[in-house]
Amino acid sequence: MNWKKFFVAFIAAFVFLFVFGFLWYGTLMQGAHREVPTLLRPEADFKSYFGCLVLGHIVMAFFFTLLCARFVSAGGAGAGATLGILVGLVYAGPHLISFAVQPLTVRILCGWIAGAVIQFAIAGAIVGAIYKPAPEDIIYVKERSR
Amino acid sequence: MKRFILAFIAAYIFLFVWGWLLNGVLLKDVYAETPNLWRPQSEMMSLFHWIILGQALIVFSFVMIYATGFAGGGVIAGIRLGILLEIAAIGMRLGFYAVQPIPGKLILYGSISGLIEMIIVGAIVGAIYKPAPARSS
Repeated sequence: MNWKKFFVAFIAAFVFLFVFGFLWYGTLMQGAHREVPTLLRPEADFKSYFGCLVLGHIVMAFFFTLLCARFVSAGGAGAGATLGILVGLVYAGPHLISFAVQPLTVRILCGWIAGAVIQFAIAGAIVGAIYKPAPEDIIYVKERSR
Repeated sequence: MKRFILAFIAAYIFLFVWGWLLNGVLLKDVYAETPNLWRPQSEMMSLFHWIILGQALIVFSFVMIYATGFAGGGVIAGIRLGILLEIAAIGMRLGFYAVQPIPGKLILYGSISGLIEMIIVGAIVGAIYKPAPARSS
């Protein structure tokens, strides 16, 4: 594992996930979320839980970066984005389940699913572009003489 | 392809039974403490197909990730993938906890059970899915 590149990729992923989350869920979807006020904490209450939001994003970014490093051993934005789309779909599944059990609107459901897929696709591309395995981890196969 | 479908079906059956046992039976009383957060039972039943679709999407995407990046590693690789995906999901769950008034113990139970669930899903997929053997010319 190339830890230096991994750390840079993790920080970049964390910053992106957090900023995207704020813009997409906190700003663009604010109107949709206001349609279901009982499902949201009041503003003052949310501030006291802000640490959980930051910690959650750190955990998410760290393990997503680790997954990318293991999945896309050769690196690359395209391969990272592909993994990101699949990871986004894994996390879109629970959103569909939440829609069945919580009084969410179709608008919120669509926003959450699109958000998850876009967010992880871009995060995957960022990690894939930054993370490269250490030279000693790359296995070269000697070409067979013909 | 055959192995892919078999892995998908086996993991889906497990996820469905586990989900019902955990959320429908074991945690029923915990959910009942916050009725304003959940749809009434009759409404949930009318939207049950969304649960089936959601679980199918989780399993399908999981098998896809395994088949494209972890195949050949067997049960251990499947378990590793399950752990990585679920711990990242715990991070997401913490984010939801910050914005929704979900009881903390529900987040805790959900995270522990989610980890067990994904380890078993990974083991099932890793045990069943095998990459197609390379063709010799």
